[in-house]
Amino acid sequence: MKTEKTNIKAALTIATAALLGGNTITHAETVSSNEDSSWEFDSAFLFYSEADRVSASEVILNAKKIFEDDEILNLKLTVDALTGASANGAVAQPTVQTFTRPSGKGQYDIAPGDIPLDDTFHDTRVQLNVQWTQAVADNLTASGGVHISKEYDYLSLGVNGNLAMDFDRKNSTVSLGFSYFQDTFTPEGGIPKPFASMLIGDSSAPTWDDEFAKTRLGSEDDKTTTDLLLGFTQVINRRMIMQFNYSYSMVDGYLTDPFKILTVVDDNGVAQDYVYESRPDSRVKQSIYAQSLYHFDTNVFDVSYRYMWDDWQITSHTIDSRFRIPLGDNFGRESYIQPHFRFYQQSAADFYQPFILNSEPLPAFASADYRIGEMTAFTIGLKYGMLVNHGHDLSFRLEYYRQTPTDAGFDEPGVLKEVDLYPTIDAVIAQVSYSF
Amino acid sequence: MKHSRAVTLTKCQDGHSLNFHAMASPCEVIIQSTDRQLAIKLGNIIASEVWRIEDKYSRYDQNSVCSVINNSAGQTVNIDEETYLLLNFAEQCYQLSDGLFDITSGILRKVWRFDGSDKLPTSTQVAKYLSYVGWRKVKFDQQQITLADGMEIDFGGIGKEYAVDRAIILAKQLTNLPVLINLGGDLAVTRARLNNAPWQVAIEHPNVDSTKSNINSNSTADMILSLTSGALATSGDARRYLLNKGKRYGHVLNAKTGWPIENAPRSITVVAPACIQAGILATMALLQGDNAEQFLSEQEIKFWSRR
Repeated sequence: MKTEKTNIKAALTIATAALLGGNTITHAETVSSNEDSSWEFDSAFLFYSEADRVSASEVILNAKKIFEDDEILNLKLTVDALTGASANGAVAQPTVQTFTRPSGKGQYDIAPGDIPLDDTFHDTRVQLNVQWTQAVADNLTASGGVHISKEYDYLSLGVNGNLAMDFDRKNSTVSLGFSYFQDTFTPEGGIPKPFASMLIGDSSAPTWDDEFAKTRLGSEDDKTTTDLLLGFTQVINRRMIMQFNYSYSMVDGYLTDPFKILTVVDDNGVAQDYVYESRPDSRVKQSIYAQSLYHFDTNVFDVSYRYMWDDWQITSHTIDSRFRIPLGDNFGRESYIQPHFRFYQQSAADFYQPFILNSEPLPAFASADYRIGEMTAFTIGLKYGMLVNHGHDLSFRLEYYRQTPTDAGFDEPGVLKEVDLYPTIDAVIAQVSYSF
Repeated sequence: MKHSRAVTLTKCQDGHSLNFHAMASPCEVIIQSTDRQLAIKLGNIIASEVWRIEDKYSRYDQNSVCSVINNSAGQTVNIDEETYLLLNFAEQCYQLSDGLFDITSGILRKVWRFDGSDKLPTSTQVAKYLSYVGWRKVKFDQQQITLADGMEIDFGGIGKEYAVDRAIILAKQLTNLPVLINLGGDLAVTRARLNNAPWQVAIEHPNVDSTKSNINSNSTADMILSLTSGALATSGDARRYLLNKGKRYGHVLNAKTGWPIENAPRSITVVAPACIQAGILATMALLQGDNAEQFLSEQEIKFWSRR
């Protein structure tokens, strides 16, 4: 009897959510907990670890203040630390290989059959974003912000602006965004000359520094990024919202990765030389994006698709979906789980090649960076969130990521048949977030 | 008495109060903000929404969707999504109350006039109108509704509470400052007051309090309760009854028999996350008669009742 009676309350909660819209009631409890000041804080700690490679830990602190006239000031501080090993671009060999570190100070050996990884990879990045948003007229909202990001060898400065116009009683929103970034790269050891051979030998020899300097162009280089975004959001009905974006991005300047090399092999696939990679000095990327958010009686389904293409001939498809399932009832403590699935597929840049054949003429540009090669990747994850005392939101996220580079049709001469040219990467992502 | 549609602004201690008249009740919106423009904007948005719902679902307004449906004489009427959602909610309430809550039962008012007199209808009169009652006879889907000729529906049992919840949604869209919306005693808040202080709400001298074990049946004092989130609604009206041969007939009718529920509390006030939930729980409890308080206690719901 007790169970049957309790069901009335739960059934009414569902009926009410159906009538008033999915998140209304949940929202009531959350909002009620606002503290005295109108500052709202979100914090998150994220840990990312690739098997045998890079691991990263990240702390995010977001502070938001809403002023009386609905102006919003948002401050976001991100600090991340990166350590571990990163693929240097060279192919595995059946013999021991020796490479010089990017700084030119010292060497490292890679065992036969192993993917060459540079294990000196470590960096700390501090990033600060400040954003101000306010209404400038009826149905017109403007937003502007600045961005600064500093790493040991990298500085990024940016500004952005956004205009959003509501019409049809706020059922439709058109937005126009712009951002501009100026990045300066000062890698340790300087900027390598494209296709210069990596100097390998005794780094304590008196002539070493002079010889190493001959492979360098200078100590720093920079790039600029201009992004334009056109967005359209439409409320379809009480349960469904759709969003469409088009973005256009122009990057100019130094786009090469100074830490990446390519192996030059002979007809038997045996390494003869290692040369620094070379990329074009501009890239134009475009993408279209569609997202749909659907409220069932209590669950929320979020699915999006992105198609990206650029003038490096890279195209990619991304499908991302989340399904939020509330647990427990709205009269007491609330909790939810949210499964996440993401699929990503990309084609290779036209200058991507896993190695260089010494019997063939040198191309204008070449890179063996797996990140611009052909690949598929997926992420599966689960988030568990709950409202703790005073309605503060505490959530845990655990995800598994697998990236599978694939062969875009390159011949594998001789010994290269014996080694793995396209190793998969597995990673786990763990995150704890708390809003207060 | 016809009230004009106007919103009046009053400055109060640390905020503004907006008053208007709708759904035959005095209505009040309180915002804890000294921003006069914001208060006026909020008052206008909420009053417009409440009047919109009144115009659409009042059974007294001949142009309302409700009247169009009630005057359809057995013909199918097209409905919009909002109407569908309300009918769907009424359907859930009908199911959950095992047929005791029925929005087609309003027609029984033609024979029951709770004016404090001793005039009871005859069984024949009640039976005649009872044949027009029965939610099961109503056919509806997302696009249309069909009532049997002579039947009527009445959103009176959920309309005002629905308006409170809609108003809360709109208030939250406009501002994150504390807002209280009170439509003739059915009320809800968007959040706690600044500094996490509760809203103080008075309810008319209840004598049964679910939060206290001792029941003081002689209490005639109003009670002040603190609300930091959610809503409260009151069902029942102590002033509407008939008195015949020493027996009191309250105005809550059993939709299955056409007669008043016996031994129902005079009124019940319930607290819930949404106003429409609070309202329907209070009404369902009244429909339990003697067992009203027990019904709510078993649900672990906070309530106050007057017997």
